[in-house]
Amino acid sequence: MKEKKGSALSCLTDILNKAFFIDFAKGLKVTLGYNMSKIVTLNYPDREKWIPYQRWRGLHTLNRDPDGRELCVACELCSRACPTDCITVIPMEDDTGRGIADRVAKVWEIDLVRCLFCGFCQDACPTTAVRLGREYELACKDWSSTKRDRQQLLEEPEIPETLMGGVYKASFVFNKKEVKVVPDLTKKRKNFW
Amino acid sequence: MWPDIDTILLVIVMLVKVGVVTIILLNLPIPLTWLERKVAGHIQQRPGPMRVGPHGILQPVADGIKLIFKEDIVPAKADKLLFMFAPVVSLVPALCVFVAIPVAESVTIPYINKELTFYVADFNVGILFILARGGMGIYGIILGGWASNSKYAMLGGLRSAAQMISYEVALSFSAIGVVMMSNSLSLVEIVESQAGNLFDWNIFYLPVGPIWFVIFLIAGMAEINRIPFDLSEDEGSLAAGFFVEYSAMKFSLFALAEYTAMVTIATLGTLMFLGGWNGPVDIGIPPIFWFIGKTFVLIYFFMVIRFTLPRYRYDQLMTIGWNVLIPISLVLVLVTGLMRIYL
Repeated sequence: MKEKKGSALSCLTDILNKAFFIDFAKGLKVTLGYNMSKIVTLNYPDREKWIPYQRWRGLHTLNRDPDGRELCVACELCSRACPTDCITVIPMEDDTGRGIADRVAKVWEIDLVRCLFCGFCQDACPTTAVRLGREYELACKDWSSTKRDRQQLLEEPEIPETLMGGVYKASFVFNKKEVKVVPDLTKKRKNFW
Repeated sequence: MWPDIDTILLVIVMLVKVGVVTIILLNLPIPLTWLERKVAGHIQQRPGPMRVGPHGILQPVADGIKLIFKEDIVPAKADKLLFMFAPVVSLVPALCVFVAIPVAESVTIPYINKELTFYVADFNVGILFILARGGMGIYGIILGGWASNSKYAMLGGLRSAAQMISYEVALSFSAIGVVMMSNSLSLVEIVESQAGNLFDWNIFYLPVGPIWFVIFLIAGMAEINRIPFDLSEDEGSLAAGFFVEYSAMKFSLFALAEYTAMVTIATLGTLMFLGGWNGPVDIGIPPIFWFIGKTFVLIYFFMVIRFTLPRYRYDQLMTIGWNVLIPISLVLVLVTGLMRIYL
């Protein structure tokens, strides 16, 4: 390897740099600086949980209007729009005021194994009854848990619609019945990313 | 005829000391691997092991259990006997070294007026013993590399041998420097000669002390195969180097030997240059804590270096050893000798 011949001064500074480990000291400054800096890793699932931004496409929710009536009119447009054919809707007639119209869903079932969370169903829905929510921990141990029916989807989501996304403190629940991470929505981690 | 009570007591005390030292040494890798992974994590802005025990403190135990239950694979064309013995050969000298390492000054136990010393044996040639035993650890690496019947392992072993020859010289020279500065080969006397305040330590024997210390650190790091000198286990070009074919407990024995060697170099640095168990200021802390603290600082330094410096190329390693460290140490021997005579 050929090197350019520098001046005597640059040679001297080069030797002094090597003798006093200047570059090594610079490297140590970087590593020790990072050693003291704050950890960016998300401590999931033990202590923290990331709650997605509001436009996240997670598990579906079926919604109600302010009076508590179901918005779904069982028009079956979502099931038609679905590219993987995973939504089953069977309509029925009910004039007791359960829904906003007399036509309501007898069965509204989604097969989460087939669903690819594209969001076409919520685009197709004329009454904004079906929305994709922010629940994303969908791993399960048996086939029965992969299907969600109307009753389950109608329940109020744990994370309110208005809450901003971010990283929140959480506790890890791990027992025979369930494995989940319960966020504490009052404690948000600051300066995350 | 029975030996008298003092002899029996001496033997019992010595056996207890051997037991304590062995237990401590065999368990040291547990906190050290944890610490190393934590340092690695924090330098890269991640927490390191977090899930087994509080802050992952039990992670090495979990790893140990996993390693015990792993399949112990011996390659088909390996030399079975040497392959089995190589980890032992590398571990035994590493543990052997600690016979000669004193950790605190002796105390007289009240009421029975017996003196309790904090070393297994005080050799009058302690430094020589440690260097000789420490140098033998390399046989395990060479044998392991040779017996594996793998080109990567053999290259690792060869590199390690060459590296050892180059850097053992510089390491021994730095020991010579210490012997000249302290006028003794016994580690206990070397530490006693550094008693007093901070500026009696060998590292502050200006102007040669700091340079000897740097030479010792560089050669020591090369001796224990740590980054930036870990060419024998160069992941980039040799997969895992000499232990590429090892698995299960044999693999962990190599790791154990490596950590023990690191502790050895750190304790040697403490004893030879940093005043051993003498504190810089007298504030009533027991001497053994000074010793442990200094050793810990050196170990931490080795770990930070691992994540600071890149690995040297093979020819650069040889150049540093033969063209830089050895000439400098030769000159320093002369300078130190003249200083001892005329100052």
